Amino acid sequence: MSVAWTILRKDLLGEWRSRDRVLSMLIFSLLMAVAFFFALPDARAEDWVELLPGLLWTAYVFSALLGLNRSLALELENDALSGLALAPGHRGFVFLGKTLANFVLISFVEAVTAAVFALLFGVDLLGAAPALALVVALGTIGIASIGTLLGAMAVRSRFREVLLPILLLPALFPLLAGAVDATRAAVLALPLPFEAIQLLIVIDGIYLVVGFLGFDYILLDE
Amino acid sequence: MSSPLFRARALHKRFGAVAALAGIDLEVARGETLSIVGPNGAGKSTLLRIVAGLARPSSGGLELGVEREWRAAIGYLGHQTWLYPELTARENLIFTGRLYGMPDPAARADALLEEERLTAAAHRRAGGFSRGMAQRLSIARARVHDPDLLLLDEPYTGLDRRAADRLTERLSDLKAAGHTLMLVTHDIVAAGLLSDAMILLVAGRVRARWRGRELDAGTLEARYLELVEENAA
Repeated sequence: MSVAWTILRKDLLGEWRSRDRVLSMLIFSLLMAVAFFFALPDARAEDWVELLPGLLWTAYVFSALLGLNRSLALELENDALSGLALAPGHRGFVFLGKTLANFVLISFVEAVTAAVFALLFGVDLLGAAPALALVVALGTIGIASIGTLLGAMAVRSRFREVLLPILLLPALFPLLAGAVDATRAAVLALPLPFEAIQLLIVIDGIYLVVGFLGFDYILLDE
Repeated sequence: MSSPLFRARALHKRFGAVAALAGIDLEVARGETLSIVGPNGAGKSTLLRIVAGLARPSSGGLELGVEREWRAAIGYLGHQTWLYPELTARENLIFTGRLYGMPDPAARADALLEEERLTAAAHRRAGGFSRGMAQRLSIARARVHDPDLLLLDEPYTGLDRRAADRLTERLSDLKAAGHTLMLVTHDIVAAGLLSDAMILLVAGRVRARWRGRELDAGTLEARYLELVEENAA
């Protein structure tokens, strides 16, 4: 497990110094918020409450894609990815480290994005914050884990910028169904739907296990 | 030759219809330096990446006579540095030390920085290093966990003459200190100076083996060119 913490610390320190991933993700999210605002000029406050979960998760997924693409691309610089592949022990811990780092960075961007959406669309999310944080955390574990795995698969391809969305978006459809459903309940201050939370937990578990086991093969050359 | 530290038997590697390695047998004794030379596409880097555990052979066997885990016993220096540009030299080494579970990675990092004469640059980010400095830091990175076998994949790539000479000196020091080295290079003269044994790889097969006096720099290059042309014909 120390390998995972070591990679998490390295990724966060590198990001703190360069800030390139978080900044690009934040700017993209803000632009999406503004685009949604102008795309739906006739929406009233009660419409925004209904629309917000879907819009929020659309912004979350596409900004996460930017960060995930960059996360593994950074490891290709100077071929540092081979250095990680050569570390002793199960390579699944490399996956956990990269997933944790992606989770932290994506979560930070999601928190800022939620605040911007709330301000821009006049929706009070403060009361819903604890339930919303739980739902978003569960969704983000899934995005970070499957995104890290598929990012590692795509990273050595010439078409990685295109390949990752093509691979990742279909894998996120079931997760998004549960996340949007649960987010709507959180925003409307309703009890969180058990089926949606259960779906998110099961998907997170599957993606984490598949990623942990799959990384041992993915990091190797052909 | 003393008992081998590393042995490969009938090693094959195929990429689809292409045979990158076609039945490689080789041995490296503890404290020995083996060079692998050959033209582009001969399978040299593929061989080294299989030895490192970064690629799987299609068939054949590999043995490493050490008690610890295979990857923990291997150090790897390539023409790419494997360094993180946003981290300082010291942080890069501490990071690698932690990956290998070293008990005191900071002390090990400081010792290696001193050995590589990089102490003054310890707190500078690796992204600002010259190619020669980055290569020295890369040598330190490859040695953080005190590997039994150090693999060197085209380490001269991108180095100017002066930096290349310094690298040869540094590798000679490591050899004199008893390290076991496997070196892939196009620089047949440098390889001849450093090596106890050399193999010529052409199209995935060992075409020649030289050892001891056969590695005399005066005739080695001519024999190398002759054999490469003969096998290309």
